[in-house]
Amino acid sequence: LSHELGSYCARLFADLGAEVIRVEPPGGRSDRRRPPPLAGAEPTVFGGIPFAFLNVNKKSVTLDATSAAGRAVAKDLIAASQVVIHEPGEGSGLELAEILAVPGRRVVTSVSHFGLTGPYADFVGCDLVAQALGGIAWLSGEPAKPPLRLAGQQSIFVASLYAAAATALALWHSEAQGVSHVLDVSAQEAIAHSLQNAIQVYDLEGRVSSRGGEGVRDATESAFACKDGYVFLAAPLSLSASWSGLLAWFREEKFDGLARLQEPDWADRPTRATAAMKAEFRPLFERFIADKSKAELAAEALKRKIVMAPVSRIADLQLDPQLVFRRFFRKVALPGLGREVAFPGAPYRLSEPLWQIHRAAPRLGEDNESVLGGIAAKQAGR
Amino acid sequence: MYPDFLKGIRFVDLTWAGAGPFSTKLFSDFGAEIIKVESASRPDPVRVGGPYRDAIPGINRSGYFASRNTGKHSFSVNLKNPRSIETIFELIRHADVVSNNFGPGAMNRLGLGYEAVKAVKPDIIYLAMPMYGENGPLANLTGVGMTISAVTGLMWQTGYEGEGPLGPGTHFPDHAANPYHAAFAVVAALRHRRATGRGLKIDLSQVESTLNCMGLSALEYAATGTEQDRLGNRSAHHAPHNIFRCAGEDNWCAVAVLDDRQWQSLCKVIGASNLAKDRELATAKGRLAQVERVEAAVIRWIADKDATDAMMTLQAKGVPAGVVASSRYLMDEDKQLAYRGYWQKVDHPEIGEARFTSPPYLLDGERVELRRPPLLGEHTDAVLKEILGYTPERIAALRGEGVLE
Repeated sequence: LSHELGSYCARLFADLGAEVIRVEPPGGRSDRRRPPPLAGAEPTVFGGIPFAFLNVNKKSVTLDATSAAGRAVAKDLIAASQVVIHEPGEGSGLELAEILAVPGRRVVTSVSHFGLTGPYADFVGCDLVAQALGGIAWLSGEPAKPPLRLAGQQSIFVASLYAAAATALALWHSEAQGVSHVLDVSAQEAIAHSLQNAIQVYDLEGRVSSRGGEGVRDATESAFACKDGYVFLAAPLSLSASWSGLLAWFREEKFDGLARLQEPDWADRPTRATAAMKAEFRPLFERFIADKSKAELAAEALKRKIVMAPVSRIADLQLDPQLVFRRFFRKVALPGLGREVAFPGAPYRLSEPLWQIHRAAPRLGEDNESVLGGIAAKQAGR
Repeated sequence: MYPDFLKGIRFVDLTWAGAGPFSTKLFSDFGAEIIKVESASRPDPVRVGGPYRDAIPGINRSGYFASRNTGKHSFSVNLKNPRSIETIFELIRHADVVSNNFGPGAMNRLGLGYEAVKAVKPDIIYLAMPMYGENGPLANLTGVGMTISAVTGLMWQTGYEGEGPLGPGTHFPDHAANPYHAAFAVVAALRHRRATGRGLKIDLSQVESTLNCMGLSALEYAATGTEQDRLGNRSAHHAPHNIFRCAGEDNWCAVAVLDDRQWQSLCKVIGASNLAKDRELATAKGRLAQVERVEAAVIRWIADKDATDAMMTLQAKGVPAGVVASSRYLMDEDKQLAYRGYWQKVDHPEIGEARFTSPPYLLDGERVELRRPPLLGEHTDAVLKEILGYTPERIAALRGEGVLE
């Protein structure tokens, strides 16, 4: 019953062979229409791009939960389930209380932006708002500019990952002990749980961590422009092999910037984190790498044990030599598009082939017949 | 509540630093016995990285370490001493899970590779989580969390419009994507073992794990051939959708309009009746075409408002809005987290009472309570005595030989 924050959670179970059934109103749930669309595909039927990724391996049935017959079928489905993923805010047609009233043992996981209780329980959320109130936007960006949200709708993934791990543990216990559990997962809390050490920095030392690691992050830790894009470098004194590897490289290439970096102020950690040192290091290093490509720099990083890697564009990902070697991407036929596209492969590899993509995201009501049987599907009043 | 869901499950946990321990913490919080294998001569880097209680360094004073290791048992040995590996193997015979997040080959060099462990404990669940995977041309690339952001496109796409890539301000993949994909896989493996009697090896490449969290961008490129440019806090599909400066120094509020109804509500709140009536702005497409004008109206209204007041006013009318919360705001001012009892106090012999984030959910209406993190080597003797039945004399001898630290 998820439509945003719980979708990836349910997919993680589906990828390991669980039968995951999306229960949708006759017109489809709103996540099918989330942009961007798949060119030429009717979004209500096929879903857009986010839908296609988040709903792989799932089934879809349609039910008119405003009718008594439809509600009865929905409750039958819940009665036959070990896990229900619920997300408030949109017409599953069933309230959480009704789901919890269905007899039987199961785990009911509700995933929402702010949780089911408290003064913000009815707030309208979205990725930007969750990243703001969760505290991650504050930590990103540059000091003189606004805080910055992360790309890629990260609140969905953070909330879903915490929800999935907790749901799996609750299911483990439910199966062993024959008990039911209810989880009330908050995306805000999940993001606030993932702020590196910012919480402890404030609690124990009274300092507020701010964006870009201002005053903390080393001058060398950043993305730098090279010949064909950007590389990320980290060579603080705490990564001593990286720093010494960098200096040795400068020496070998007789780079005239070396002398400056051997002066005493570059041996002092707090000094290295100041804006002045950042302003000095950037042009120096960018001059050094101006004629070097991302691939050349990756090879040097590997050889010299420098913490340095290409800042990959999205278009680069499928060409990443490591990912190619490991055959990471998986071709999946998208019915809405009429062709195969490359999906990210397994997030972890198991020694048995338990993780699989065996079907694309479902068309609306694609599994009505097989899941509900003919009569029930008619009852549901498509 | 202190859930005992995993009572009887034991980890020999060699993970250290950020992502690995954050993953195994979930299991100690749910009642598993996590034997954290540590070393005094080569301590977990987050034990010797801040913050510390009152900014005074100490091996048991790190808040970062504390937040990643609640409820674990610390078993301190010198891994360079071959006898320590014998002891670890004895523990593995009594364990369900062996976990590490070292680089490729490191466990083999210690003699603790999967095959060696499996030979001793055939149904072991073995979690490895090297950055780029265990094999391949870049497997030995060294990196930190931000390196993972770099090679997965997250850094490329995160930045201000018209400027270079910045990426997250933290080692973001270390704090959710990788620990929680790993934790999910371990629970799945435990369940698989319960059903089949067979263990599993889990090879989690942190890059591959994080790439799934970039799945929407990756699939957009695969399906359309175009990649989204950096947009700051704006959206390619909605307007307004940005973070706006409020009254005071460095106070901000996120405001987003995701549908046309929310647009009308926003216009009413900010007193922009002329914009509400403008038919060109009635759709997202029209608002995106005039995004500067739309944002200017929000700026005029919000610039002298308190960020929390602005959020409350907008939310009361159904407009998505949220204060950009700092750690201080989250801990001292956020009413939602306070109401839900998110911050819990845990006492510790050296850190004293400190505030921790709770697991981010209510379980059966209650908070999962945390047990304090261990002092270095706090449980070494108890582990040897209670699990392996060693006598005090034998333990003293091992300590004398430099096996225990």
